[in-house]
Amino acid sequence: MFFYGFMQRAFQASFLISLIAPILGLFLILQRQSLMADTLSHVSLAGVALGMLIGINPTWTNILVVIVVAVLLEVLRQIYHTYSEISIAILMSAGMAVALVLMGISDGGATLSMTQFLFGSIVTINEQQIWMLLFLMIIIVALYIIFRKPMYILTFDEDTAFTAGLPIRTMSILFNILTGITIAIIMPIVGALLVSAIIILPAAISLRLSKSFNGVILIGIVIAIIGMLSGLVTSYELGTPPGASITLTLMLIFSITTVVKRVFRL
Amino acid sequence: MHYIEVEDLSFQYENEPVLENISFKVEPGDFVMLTGENGAAKTTLLRNILGLLKPSKGNVHLSAKNYLGEQLVVGYVSQQIASFNAGFPSTVLELVQSGRYQRGKWFKKLDKHDKEQIRRSLESVGMWDMRFKKIGELSGGQKQRISIARVFATDPDLFILDEPTTGMDVNSRKEFYQLLRHNSMEHNKGILMVTHDHEEIRHYANKHIELVRKEGSPWRCFSMDSCKELSKPHS
Repeated sequence: MFFYGFMQRAFQASFLISLIAPILGLFLILQRQSLMADTLSHVSLAGVALGMLIGINPTWTNILVVIVVAVLLEVLRQIYHTYSEISIAILMSAGMAVALVLMGISDGGATLSMTQFLFGSIVTINEQQIWMLLFLMIIIVALYIIFRKPMYILTFDEDTAFTAGLPIRTMSILFNILTGITIAIIMPIVGALLVSAIIILPAAISLRLSKSFNGVILIGIVIAIIGMLSGLVTSYELGTPPGASITLTLMLIFSITTVVKRVFRL
Repeated sequence: MHYIEVEDLSFQYENEPVLENISFKVEPGDFVMLTGENGAAKTTLLRNILGLLKPSKGNVHLSAKNYLGEQLVVGYVSQQIASFNAGFPSTVLELVQSGRYQRGKWFKKLDKHDKEQIRRSLESVGMWDMRFKKIGELSGGQKQRISIARVFATDPDLFILDEPTTGMDVNSRKEFYQLLRHNSMEHNKGILMVTHDHEEIRHYANKHIELVRKEGSPWRCFSMDSCKELSKPHS
């Protein structure tokens, strides 16, 4: 299978996503915004539908729409400060509703293409997507290295971050935008329905395995690489959908680590 | 110069006034204790000073510079800090060293001086031996200690502390107050601390602000009794 060009690109994409996902996933979990990835992926569908309706490459309309929604998410999070998950519920439903309306307005072809965005197609990745992912990975890893310390404080305690003079609102908005752009780029590959699982699960697993902040990121990357690559192989061998196979592999790792931790009281 | 200048501050939640006519100053070298009964809006007052809440009337001025003309560094220990998320992935050492980031180390490596300050801060609260423990595995009292160690690691010009000694034993409290007094008297640090132990602290602090219920007010509204100068503590 390694001799097929499409599989080589699939492995390259999986590897790059594995380097990105645990970084974003950890910060989302610590900010109690795990479902934000889900919201943005639902909203992404609206972006895709808009692109198809007006005849523009859906990736660009998608990126534009998620940037707007990422800002809106932070505004709503501030308005409903005590119940910040309301912002997620509002925008998730709104995103899905807009997507369905736009799909209804456009012809049946759009509905067909939407299936690819809903479920993803890791085996139809083209060169351009690989380059976009590589560029995105370099940016996210560089931003993590540069802004690791301010983000650590922000996710530990917002009041402490504010007192330390950090621009917490701007940081939150920029982080949301970065998450949105990542989802817009990853979504055609893994699918809107599973993109949040792939972002959140590696960090959720490693959170239980490491004592330190950097340790969580590093273990998360290793887990993501193992989960993504073995999920991909499983998908090839069994003929199952790649996104679902990767998610189930990560769930299996989650179950094994939980049981091992319990049994050996680690 | 004043690190904190509060002028005729009032604050209300929705339409309910909780603070009225608060005025006081904290200067470099001041150790000010802020007391009041439960629900006297002491934390609300601190949050107004820090800019986390906006006063409905009056002004709060937090100096931008310290007495040496450098940027003022504020160290804040909130009341809830010790109840932080037990699952937060950090060792004690990582958390305490994050206190140094404010000292111009957001984008720089910590140097020898930073590491020495971190070690001394952890030793001062008896937590050096536990530096590699995950913070979620600590008891409530230990979490309180590392919150204090973190603020000492920052070595701020102005300490703003909200009941920082909750859950600490008498000896630890005494050592902590002595350390604060040393910081205010020898290093000209400003300290504003909310506390219930005013009998204990009055031997260390030099000013006492008490928030008292406003007479004739229909709401639970508090105002200042006075800002009393206490007898100057001995170094």
